[in-house]
Amino acid sequence: MKSFWARFLGNPRVLAGIAWLLVVAVVAVFAPLLAPVDPFEIVDKPFLVPSGDHLFGTDSLGRSIWAGLAHGARTTLIIAIVATLSAVAFGAVVGALAGYHGGLVDDALMRITEFFQTIPSFIFAIVLVAILAPSATSLVVAIAVVSWPPIARVVRGEVLSVKSREFVQAAVIAGQGDTAILLRQVIPNTLSPLIVTGSLLVATAILTESALSFLGLGAPNLMSWGFMVGAGRSFLRDAWWLVTIPGVAILLTVLAINLVGEGLNDALNPRLADV
Amino acid sequence: MKLTRRALAGLAGAVLATMSLGQSALAQKQGGTLVMVVQPEPPTLASYLSTSGPIGMVAAKVFDGLLEYDLDLKPLPSLAESWEVAPDGMQITFNLRQGVTFHDGKPLTAADVQFSIMNVAKVTHPRGPNTFAAVTAVETPNDHTVVLKLSEAAPYMMMAFSGYETPIIPKHVYGTGDLRAHPNANQPIGSGPFKFVEWKKGQYIRLDRNPSYWKKGQPYLDRIVARFIADPSTRTAALEKGEAHFAAMGAVPFNDAKKLAENSGLTVTTRGHEMFSPLAELLLNTTRKPLDDKRVRQAIAYAMDRQFIIDNIWFGYGKPATGPMSSNFAPSGLYTADVQTYEVADGVDRANKILDEAGYAKNAEGVRFELMHDSLPYGQEWTRFGEYVQQALGKIGIKVTIRQEDVARWLKRTYHDHDFDTTANYLYNLADPVIGVHRAVHSKTIKPGTVFTNGSYWSSPRTDELLDKAKIEPDATKRAGYYAEVLKIVAEEIPIIWIHEMNFPTVVNNKFADVIVSALGVYSSFDRAYMK
Repeated sequence: MKSFWARFLGNPRVLAGIAWLLVVAVVAVFAPLLAPVDPFEIVDKPFLVPSGDHLFGTDSLGRSIWAGLAHGARTTLIIAIVATLSAVAFGAVVGALAGYHGGLVDDALMRITEFFQTIPSFIFAIVLVAILAPSATSLVVAIAVVSWPPIARVVRGEVLSVKSREFVQAAVIAGQGDTAILLRQVIPNTLSPLIVTGSLLVATAILTESALSFLGLGAPNLMSWGFMVGAGRSFLRDAWWLVTIPGVAILLTVLAINLVGEGLNDALNPRLADV
Repeated sequence: MKLTRRALAGLAGAVLATMSLGQSALAQKQGGTLVMVVQPEPPTLASYLSTSGPIGMVAAKVFDGLLEYDLDLKPLPSLAESWEVAPDGMQITFNLRQGVTFHDGKPLTAADVQFSIMNVAKVTHPRGPNTFAAVTAVETPNDHTVVLKLSEAAPYMMMAFSGYETPIIPKHVYGTGDLRAHPNANQPIGSGPFKFVEWKKGQYIRLDRNPSYWKKGQPYLDRIVARFIADPSTRTAALEKGEAHFAAMGAVPFNDAKKLAENSGLTVTTRGHEMFSPLAELLLNTTRKPLDDKRVRQAIAYAMDRQFIIDNIWFGYGKPATGPMSSNFAPSGLYTADVQTYEVADGVDRANKILDEAGYAKNAEGVRFELMHDSLPYGQEWTRFGEYVQQALGKIGIKVTIRQEDVARWLKRTYHDHDFDTTANYLYNLADPVIGVHRAVHSKTIKPGTVFTNGSYWSSPRTDELLDKAKIEPDATKRAGYYAEVLKIVAEEIPIIWIHEMNFPTVVNNKFADVIVSALGVYSSFDRAYMK
């Protein structure tokens, strides 16, 4: 059987996804060098079509779409990644505790998880941002709060199956404490589904962040792709580039993350991939 | 006979004028249905309880007022055939038209007018208690004479008798039961040119021609349908396709209105808002440092490029403002543009110079001081405006952070807690400066908790005195003199950066004519509108 990396990188869809994500990451990291202006700065006349002067044109106030795209990549990626990491960390702890301890602890934690799962996640996110007042922090909190339940359930399921294995029983007999068993024996063996779910969660987080910004609930002082689509949507008939360019950026990035996530899944579960 | 060329031209002009007059009289044939877009759907049709826009757009066709107003805000007879203001201004007598009936066939008498002013306008109307504060009694010597007794002269009151502002409603219907929760709130009965027929919630309200309307032959239209279309692009498309014929007051996005204006089947006009005259403003909290410093406020005023804002955020629908009063008051002589102007080519340089001289030095990052701007949560234009303010003030070394909150929180922060640096808003000048201008700068309107009042908290004893004099001065020239001084002082003190006089585009299908004939625009009765 081929190694993980061979299976992962041998997949052309994964390579395409990684290539695009690299482009976005480079643009995000070097945004201040690639577009050395404040993305909200009025640089030229409004509604200039994409040209040599302004790679992607200007928006309704005369702001550079390229600068918005570059700086927006930063905002979008940072918020999505931080929110996902928070959701994964919290969800994993809840899931692991529920799965490992079982009984009342499991019941209590799972009922709480289900409570969060029954609320439509996007509407819940809107409510949270509205209550907290729009800012980068409240976006992260809102996205994390609506994203952790699936992680908790995945981890709980994995922990349930792993903890009945012989090596865990052996660890118990050897006298290891609960924390040690969880951290050293159980969690490492639940990592692959966690990584797959977590990577796909980044895509969902980007979509949620964009949707919130589109609705005007984004961080008001940070440029983001969703904001650009929202601000440009009334001009779709007159100036297609205002909406299309950031829209395509969101589409490609989310698609790329999904490709990579599925590639990870295939690579980590080789038997599944071969079927 | 010697005909000079000039006489000939004059004669020809006179003949042409007569012909065109005759033509327009002939053209006013009866019939047709006008579909107007009303956005959003009104909560009720009780225009005697709420001044909310959509309510008035529909209800003003059903209820008459004592007076009408032309495009220059001149009062015209309506239910009142004539009127007389006592020389000292303490009494107003209205002579009512005889033979006017309500839609249920009952006659309209002085008692209905008395009820509509004393029991309705002065009690349940949002602006009425203020407007009619000076009215101590309404006497009805006979069925067609109404006498308003005032405690002090109130010349501005003459602007408040339209069917939109002070509808005359039947006492025999609305006089029984709780006026605030009346069964006829959604099935209004008035004396206006159109009768309420049905309301399909979420879809439309249908009004039919009142055949026994007191204006002979009017209204010309058979029917008015108020349609509710939630999505802005669908509204624009409906107007383009001729499915709807009329839209006003922000029902059409500004950028779409510009496009619709190029459509040969449609006319886009900005007239018909003279009774409202909204002024867009950047509101400063003058109780906070450094905004308590006049020089800082002047620098901010210089930093704003009003024409840029009008052209790029409101797509050309507006005119730079010179102060708290709209130039729509120019015909009545109350407005003057002879004040300090901040609309100059080198505004940014001047602003930087003022701030340098005032001692607000830039730090290493080029920042003099920081401000928080609360964006007005009233739609895209105001979000863009906030972003523009951030950029414009950045150019003069003021770092602005934007905060975006919902309407309730913004109202509380601005008018209740007064916990802001700068924010934006637009206040209506309405029909008279006493109603619309005084509230923005008078010390008496610094009232925490009352919305749309003096939000800057600035006032001065001198301007207070002048405003109080202007309020009760019946002589128009003297009144204008008081206001001229107020406008001068306020422009120099500049507690609020007035940006522009907002012009809302009204879209009318060219199949219809004489739709906008009043300063009330969409809030008028449409009794003269006709289909060509």
